[in-house]
Amino acid sequence: METHLRSLRLFGQNLQAFFSQLKKHPSAWLGGIVILLYVAMAIIAPLLAPHSPIGTDLQLRLIPPFWQDGGTWSHFFGTDVLGMDLLSRIIYGARISLLIGFLAVGISVLIGVVLGMLAGYFRGFFDEIISRFAELLMAFPFLIFAIGIMAVLGPGFGNLLLALTFKGWVEFFRLVRGEMMVEKTKEYVEAATALGVSHLRIIISEILPNVVHSILVLGTLRLGYMIIMEASLSFLGLGIQPPTPAWGSMISAGRDYMMTAWWISTIPGIALLILVLSINLFGEGLRDVSDPRLKRG
Amino acid sequence: MRAVKIVERVLATIPIMIGVAILVFLFMRFTPGDPVDLMMGKDGNVSAQEVATLRAQFNLDEPIYVQLFDYLHKASQGDLGLSFKKNRPVIELVKEALPATVELSLVAVVISLFIAIPIGVYSAVKQNSLIDRASMGISFLGVSMPAFWLGIVLILIFSVKLGISPAQGRIDYGVGLDKVTGFYLLDSILTGNFQAFKSTLSHLLLPAITLGATLAAIVTRVVRSSMLEVLRQDYIVMARAKGMSEFKVVVKHALRNALIPTVTVVGLEIGVLLGGNMIVETVFGWPGLGRIAVEAIFNRDYPLVQGVVMFYAIVFVMANLIVDILYTYINPKISI
Amino acid sequence: MLQVKDLTMVYETDRGKVKAVNGVNFSIGHGEVLGLVGESGCGKSATLLTLLGLVPYPGKITSGEILFNGEDLRKKSPTEMRNIRGKDIAMIFQDPMTALNPVFKVGEQIRETLRIHGLMQEQKGSWWSRRKKQNHNERERVMELMKEVGIPSPDERFFEYPHQFSGGMQQRVVIAIALACSAQLLLADEPTTALDVTIQAQILELLNKINRERETAIIMVTHNLGMAAEFCQKIAVMYAGEIVEQGPTDAVLENPKHPYTQGLLQSIPRISERKQRIEPIPGSVPDLATLDETCAFYPRCGKRTKACLLKKYNLEDLGEGHSAKCALYS
Repeated sequence: METHLRSLRLFGQNLQAFFSQLKKHPSAWLGGIVILLYVAMAIIAPLLAPHSPIGTDLQLRLIPPFWQDGGTWSHFFGTDVLGMDLLSRIIYGARISLLIGFLAVGISVLIGVVLGMLAGYFRGFFDEIISRFAELLMAFPFLIFAIGIMAVLGPGFGNLLLALTFKGWVEFFRLVRGEMMVEKTKEYVEAATALGVSHLRIIISEILPNVVHSILVLGTLRLGYMIIMEASLSFLGLGIQPPTPAWGSMISAGRDYMMTAWWISTIPGIALLILVLSINLFGEGLRDVSDPRLKRG
Repeated sequence: MRAVKIVERVLATIPIMIGVAILVFLFMRFTPGDPVDLMMGKDGNVSAQEVATLRAQFNLDEPIYVQLFDYLHKASQGDLGLSFKKNRPVIELVKEALPATVELSLVAVVISLFIAIPIGVYSAVKQNSLIDRASMGISFLGVSMPAFWLGIVLILIFSVKLGISPAQGRIDYGVGLDKVTGFYLLDSILTGNFQAFKSTLSHLLLPAITLGATLAAIVTRVVRSSMLEVLRQDYIVMARAKGMSEFKVVVKHALRNALIPTVTVVGLEIGVLLGGNMIVETVFGWPGLGRIAVEAIFNRDYPLVQGVVMFYAIVFVMANLIVDILYTYINPKISI
Repeated sequence: MLQVKDLTMVYETDRGKVKAVNGVNFSIGHGEVLGLVGESGCGKSATLLTLLGLVPYPGKITSGEILFNGEDLRKKSPTEMRNIRGKDIAMIFQDPMTALNPVFKVGEQIRETLRIHGLMQEQKGSWWSRRKKQNHNERERVMELMKEVGIPSPDERFFEYPHQFSGGMQQRVVIAIALACSAQLLLADEPTTALDVTIQAQILELLNKINRERETAIIMVTHNLGMAAEFCQKIAVMYAGEIVEQGPTDAVLENPKHPYTQGLLQSIPRISERKQRIEPIPGSVPDLATLDETCAFYPRCGKRTKACLLKKYNLEDLGEGHSAKCALYS
């Protein structure tokens, strides 16, 4: 019981120190705030969106954004070819991007961390098998692997998640396994082993708190990447299918009307860009704080 | 010594390649319905007799491991099966599309390295200057920008608004070009066809920039941070103490060392580049491997998808192999 | 040959100005060996780099003259300074492991110095044949140099990389680079600190030989008084960026005047004396940013008086070129 409390405290202290240092990092702060705004927007989407995200009205096709001739305030960013309100679709689109992003990273972290800890701690046959499999998956470029899986499974939310996590865990696995093998040889772990503390407890209470920074940093940086991957797959028509609002498929839908309606493709892309940019800013900030050696400038 | 290392490294790729082939094969067997159903699906009334013949033709009656060995055996001889839709050998289709993809990728890599390395070096030397801050900002944007969106924005600006650059294809319709190598830039130079060269180049520029943007952004950042690290080293002071000019100190002594981590990163980014290919080829209607693959997916032409995915994986493994070998040349500590 | 007058170099940091080199005066003649002695972090290495015009960032020379053969190096243009660096004044670094560029062959790194300063150039023949001849001459010269500094089988080792050399051999390469253009003055920054004890003696012997045979003047930075005693004709003791005592080696070591020098001497164990009493100097080198104008050694000094805090003292001549900066002698 006492060791659990102690490890929890260590965990908390580490994270606390981490975030208090992060405060000194203005760009990371900015990124964090924008991410929170996006999350809030996704949660209260029904309250924010002026129209239904999937309500079509052919009378209101291809209305430009409000600042252009023919634009109206009621359709802030204009409408697409089916008369769906772009702003409402962008607001709802945040749900898909964030949900897929967080879930894909979350599941990847879970699988990667558990397998990585076991493989790095116990080594042996289990490690050999998992490591070989991970190596095999590394032989595929990420997007192409995901495209291949989506081609087999067909589009859809669950399949998308599967495609992204099937390979996504590998990086977390490699990270945790590597750190595990380094940490395992350190004195505090040897001391705990000598005291007869059980393996599981050593892993959870001694080692995990020390690798949590690296997982957090990699997780944040992968979040942006996963969101781009989702958008790319949806753009190709392999991810989330219209009329469900997803930024990738919205950008794709606007491609045929670039000559007349530039906004359909451009504006959802800006929403995507700002989100990914903020996530990367936040992730870089985390990395600078957790590894001062890499600090830039 | 180096030769032994290289041979070892080359041999190590063989099990990976076999693993890749097995994984791709198994995956394609998870397709809902078997290939024959898919082939026949649309045609409706097919007799049981015909289905049985086809199943036998595709070896589908054999146990799965026999099918696997059969597949591996054929794949090792370059036979990746027949495309359902086009009824032609997959390998032939891949060969046809390959030059377009390679040309695009090479031009993208060359452009991005030529831009990124000087900017990265300059940013490190003039750390915290206006140019440093600007280039860091832009490259950060570049890292976060999805390639397909950048492509669309470039088309909107340069093709739709300004009308100075074509948006689709490799060459203007009606420009005759004799194919020699399949690389249009090279072919047009070889045949002395200036009009074709101009047309090819103008078609190539936007997709190459789109494809190279992420790589350029990442390389700029890596070169800058490695240069900052290297410029702090004693051997840089030593080079100055020898009386060397600052330009030579930076370009010869510092950059040469900073390239070591850069090569590693470029190797890692090749995967992103290959994936980006599919996207960029789709956006710009570029008749390469990526577009074939996307088309094949929508046609449910599984042998073709399988072939292209496997081909990409093999290219990726090969590219990493080349990077590793290159690495032993630029980092002398590796060679023993 | 080299005269340094009132040289001050200041780091401009966030916490204000830090005087890393503070009003330093010394001189060295042809063929002389001067020891610059002091604890780590007292501005010895910074002094050497400043002499070469390679003031470490974010430092700046604020006053003083560096007269080399009568000409002030501070007034030279960057190009003129480059021509002096490596040719007339060369430097030997503390850690040869980091001073040699890991990606270039050892021979090339020595050859580079010859090329920079245009030695071994050929005048006759076509561009191609000149180039070929020059390459050949340079290589011959590099081999000679490698032989001179005691690197065995130079024709093979020319093509090896630094990491294939032992620490002692690496330092010989660094010395060969410094000798390449027959510099008149070598600046040696703790040239043996990073090496094994047995190798240290060899490197010292090599430097000694160079000094004798080539009559090269050497400024040797060291924290090791024993080594300075053996090697140098003159000694300057530095503390917190200032020279606190200097003079002929025998005078300084046998009759140390400044309490800091006395302290340094007492903290060296002597094998010759049976009853050893090592008395370490209490405390450590002060933070240069917090110093004022009065004696920087005051907090650690065993002989401090109220007089110490009254004013800034200068080096007082105590006869026979021996001088010390202390309230005791003013």
